[in-house]
Amino acid sequence: MAAITQKLEQAYRQAPWRSQVQWSGMFLIFLVGFVMIAGLYLSISAQAATAGLDVQDLQVQKDEATRRTADLRNQLAYLTSDSIMAKRAKGMGFKLNRIDEPTYLIINGYSGRNLANLAPPPGLDMIPAPVLRPAYTQSLWEWLFQGVLSYSDPSIGGLQ
Amino acid sequence: MNPSTFFRLRVMGILLSTVGALVIFQIVRIQNSVSAQSLSADAVRNYDYEERKIFPERGSIFDRWGRLLAGNKEVYEIGVDIRYVKNPASIAEIAHNVLELDYDTVLKNVGQGYVPGELEYVVLADFVPLETINAISETKENYKRLTPNKKGEKLPSLEGLLWTPHLQRSYPENALASNMIGFFSYRDRDQGRGYFGVEEKYNDLLAGSPIKVKIPRNPYKVREIPTVPPGASIVLTIDKDIQASMEDIAAKAMKRNGATSVTIVVMNPKTGEILAMASTPNLNLNEYWNYGDVFPDPTPYNRAVGQTYEPGSVFKVLTMAAAIDAGAVTPDTPFLDTGEVLIGGYTIYNWDRNAWGPQTMTTCMQHSLNVCLTWVAQQLGPTRFYQYLQAFGIGRKTNIDLAGEVNFPLALPGDGNWYPINLGTNSFGQGVAATPLQMITAASALANDGKMMAPHILQSVVENGRQYNNTPQVIGNPISAKSARTITTLLAKSLEEEASDSLVEGYRVAGKTGTAEIPGPNGYVSNLTNASFVGWGPADDPRFVVYIWLEKPKSSPWGSIVAAPVFSQVVQSLVVSMKIPPDNIRLGLVQK
Repeated sequence: MAAITQKLEQAYRQAPWRSQVQWSGMFLIFLVGFVMIAGLYLSISAQAATAGLDVQDLQVQKDEATRRTADLRNQLAYLTSDSIMAKRAKGMGFKLNRIDEPTYLIINGYSGRNLANLAPPPGLDMIPAPVLRPAYTQSLWEWLFQGVLSYSDPSIGGLQ
Repeated sequence: MNPSTFFRLRVMGILLSTVGALVIFQIVRIQNSVSAQSLSADAVRNYDYEERKIFPERGSIFDRWGRLLAGNKEVYEIGVDIRYVKNPASIAEIAHNVLELDYDTVLKNVGQGYVPGELEYVVLADFVPLETINAISETKENYKRLTPNKKGEKLPSLEGLLWTPHLQRSYPENALASNMIGFFSYRDRDQGRGYFGVEEKYNDLLAGSPIKVKIPRNPYKVREIPTVPPGASIVLTIDKDIQASMEDIAAKAMKRNGATSVTIVVMNPKTGEILAMASTPNLNLNEYWNYGDVFPDPTPYNRAVGQTYEPGSVFKVLTMAAAIDAGAVTPDTPFLDTGEVLIGGYTIYNWDRNAWGPQTMTTCMQHSLNVCLTWVAQQLGPTRFYQYLQAFGIGRKTNIDLAGEVNFPLALPGDGNWYPINLGTNSFGQGVAATPLQMITAASALANDGKMMAPHILQSVVENGRQYNNTPQVIGNPISAKSARTITTLLAKSLEEEASDSLVEGYRVAGKTGTAEIPGPNGYVSNLTNASFVGWGPADDPRFVVYIWLEKPKSSPWGSIVAAPVFSQVVQSLVVSMKIPPDNIRLGLVQK
């Protein structure tokens, strides 16, 4: 063993570039590692920013759609408003039903016109479900931490 | 390697390392300086988040079948960001041509150039429709495509002109049901609120909760974007078709009779649901700023709830119902009408000042005899008479869910303003005041087996994606079911024997006309009256109660002449809208 060490020391003394190569190699390994981590972070950041911009864009689209829906509902109501419909009906030759004109029939199973039903009634399923699963909002550490906990404590759900 | 070369390399290495170290030191120093922290805080404050007050979309209002009565439409605010203006004259020109604004004023406002720290944004117009925006947008794009013919030529440009969309309250039916709906003062974008009707009564519900929020501009923080739930929508009990029909009948009756106003209320006696409530004048809710012109002071916005008046003989139905329920009289109880009766030191006469001789309670109602009804009230006695009136809700607000309900207190024995003659005059609806809604609510008990339902206009609320229905409530049982049926039959019979103009062929209805003199500062003004009618039908299974009031008709002062025919028209329209077959067909269908 001592002989091998002596030979290596002699080799390095005779060719000091070997030491420089070693140092350069270590530096390059460190640099490459740093660049890889930086690149990973940059990529994740870019993706997060893109996703954020997409969400902002979707938010704008949602607001726009909400306004548009309200506007279209209003336009439809205007087009079917009493005065417009009366004018259209008159133009098409219709006239108001007089008291002695209707014919009344019994229709089995028909209970009359239903009142406005614009939404379901309140029920037990009213607790809102989260829109995003935690996996999309957790940091890497939180995810790992929860994963470790889930193995140590089965009562905590680790899988998302 | 030459030692001097090695030395130079070493010096260069030290020098470059020092420079590098200095650069890093400077970076760290700048990052942690006070100015950097202030700049960072400023950036976070001004650029990370945008603070904005978000007004939720105002809830819509629907009729009982889900047809929109009040909604929202998309409009735009047009403004100019002075920092980006290239050609103020172009902006002033389009503002003048398209938005009809004053050219010089716009040019002055946008052409002054941007001064840092001074005004950046100027609002030119608001509530601009989409079509106008499309026209401006097209012009802006066309200007962008222009290229100068020679160097230095100033091209037209609309750079700096911006438009921002927002919602504006809209009433697609214009004036229909305006007296019930009320209006939202949308022109005041910060302080706008509902006025009158359900817009005022349910303002908080419809408006939702405006919140001040920080909207992230930083894309990394978008998950914090707040969502503001829209205001709740409400579904009313009214039927748009019936409402339109009632308003049409009211307008025609007003014109035909030269009345100051006409009020028609239609209610479902079994639930207290208001099916229609027409009151003149009406306001186009999309132009609510004309309110002062349409309703000059002191015109009430909705006479059905906002004005009390002496109802006159329609009040006799309550007196007679009370007396029948108390067992003081029956429909066949005889009465000798002498044409006058002395009470509290005053003499009360019939409407025609004639003596009608032998009568029964049915004919007393048929001929609307004041002397007879005074006698009936005397048979009841003041204590029981006023107990019944209070049970009918007279002198107390109905608490309908409409803004602006008024009440006239009922003078009771023992009060400073009550005199023995009040028993007589009150029995035929004089010296006592009520709103049309109070009267129809009281009368609804007679049409619903003695049960008085809470009048209401809210059918359901739609909030957070759920619909909550309003449950009808009984607010009193002033008379028994048997008494209610007895008075209904009595009134139906009296109308038939009178051959009243209120009758509708094929349908048996119960009702009573009313003609009341109008009290003024100097007593009753004899040439002006209030003509009324209260009625319900079909008599054997009432589906509707109707109250009609014509204020100061000029064609005739009598309710039997001006109000009874209006009731007939109302019923003719109602039975078709509500799909109620004639009695013989309906009873035949029931038997099948």
